Amino acid sequence: MRTAGTRPLGYAFALSRLVARSTGFRPRRAEFSGAEAYGLGLLVYGITCVFVARALAVFVRPLAIYFIALVILPFAIWIGSLLLYYINSLLIALLRRLGLYSAVTNNPFQHVVIMSLISLIALRFVFEEAVWVRLLGLFWLGLLSLNLLSIVIEKFVDEA
Amino acid sequence: MAGDWGRRFGVRSVLWRHYLDFGVSNVPFYLRPVTIFFWSIFFYFFAAPARRAILSNLKVVLPGSSGWLNLARAWLTLYNFAWTIADAADYKLARTEFVYTVEGEEFLEQLAAAHGAILLTAHMGSYDLGAVVFAQRYQREIRMVRAPESDEQTAQHVDRSFERAGAGAVKVAYNTSSMALPLDMLNAIRTGEIVSIQGDRPVPNVSQRATHLFGEVVQLPDGPFMLALVAQVPVFPVFILRNAFHHYKVIARAPIHCLRAERGREAVIEAAMEIWSRTLEEVIAEHWSQWFSLVPLFSKR
Repeated sequence: MRTAGTRPLGYAFALSRLVARSTGFRPRRAEFSGAEAYGLGLLVYGITCVFVARALAVFVRPLAIYFIALVILPFAIWIGSLLLYYINSLLIALLRRLGLYSAVTNNPFQHVVIMSLISLIALRFVFEEAVWVRLLGLFWLGLLSLNLLSIVIEKFVDEA
Repeated sequence: MAGDWGRRFGVRSVLWRHYLDFGVSNVPFYLRPVTIFFWSIFFYFFAAPARRAILSNLKVVLPGSSGWLNLARAWLTLYNFAWTIADAADYKLARTEFVYTVEGEEFLEQLAAAHGAILLTAHMGSYDLGAVVFAQRYQREIRMVRAPESDEQTAQHVDRSFERAGAGAVKVAYNTSSMALPLDMLNAIRTGEIVSIQGDRPVPNVSQRATHLFGEVVQLPDGPFMLALVAQVPVFPVFILRNAFHHYKVIARAPIHCLRAERGREAVIEAAMEIWSRTLEEVIAEHWSQWFSLVPLFSKR
């Protein structure tokens, strides 16, 4: 634990740290930001919901059943995500056994899988007809690119 | 058959503790708000006795409050509970850092410097995490007295968690009707240790006495004050509350003294319990959504 005020702000993502640096703060790498946690979490969950809802629209008829499916959807995605974590954990266990993964928790691997899946969905959104879906996909890909760029910039700044 | 099922899948079974550890190790921090949100909904229905207990306590803590609104408040309490146990597990497994602020730092310093003292807390916020952090920050050993777990495996899991998180600085003892525990605690205090006790709900077959809380007569444990009187050490009310994502606030209040020479033993203990009740009232009234007393404290009206 750290006492507030004696340590700089903490952000998990390079983009947030770079933005904070540009406004005069000296942030470090830590998971202290509620904005990051809640903001990114809602974005990831929202993109998944939009993707599944649009996929269901193609298969589920009539409209009344589709609306019922939409009500169930948030819970179904939550349960689906639990399954995904479990399947990934089995894969991680195998990697650990083979000596290919040694992090303390499984979070880094889960993070890479989730980011990859959401980025694939976002890429798919870019080619959709609906403008707002395209914008959502571009927004995600933009954030991802800026974060990757921030990692590089941060590395250079720290080395300088 | 039903008993087996209950032991294996019941709310207090070790299964959920293991699942919490799994979740903390596998769910990236930014997906925890969503995950905890849905798990809170699940437990809102699955842990019906806990929900009903929160509702019955809220009726007294927030008099005149709407029954419908209290249903939402009960969910919020469970949501906060989920966050605090997840954070404690996160600290245990990944040594994740948290930011905390202190209100009443001078009292916390006094507690840290005391040769034997009682840390009196409540089922509020992250009391588990608080004990571990205090022990590590001030390099002091803490004996933590907890209400007994109904499931033996869960109790073992809790013990192991404290051992792992506190690196041996926090030792857990269970509050039972046995006479050995008070004597152990007394000896620990006399050798200069800090004993942490939760004083906001009575444990069956453990010494308790009537006092006033939110205008109601309630039974609260009087053991901490008897110990303080016998050992002549101060009682420090301390609470650790979650105030944002990975941010906690420690509230330490002025020590309560049970001085032997003042009056008769009964009067001293009753006066000390009244001060403790007022402290509890103030903190609970302001932070009702973090009072995790998952059993009804007030008699049904």
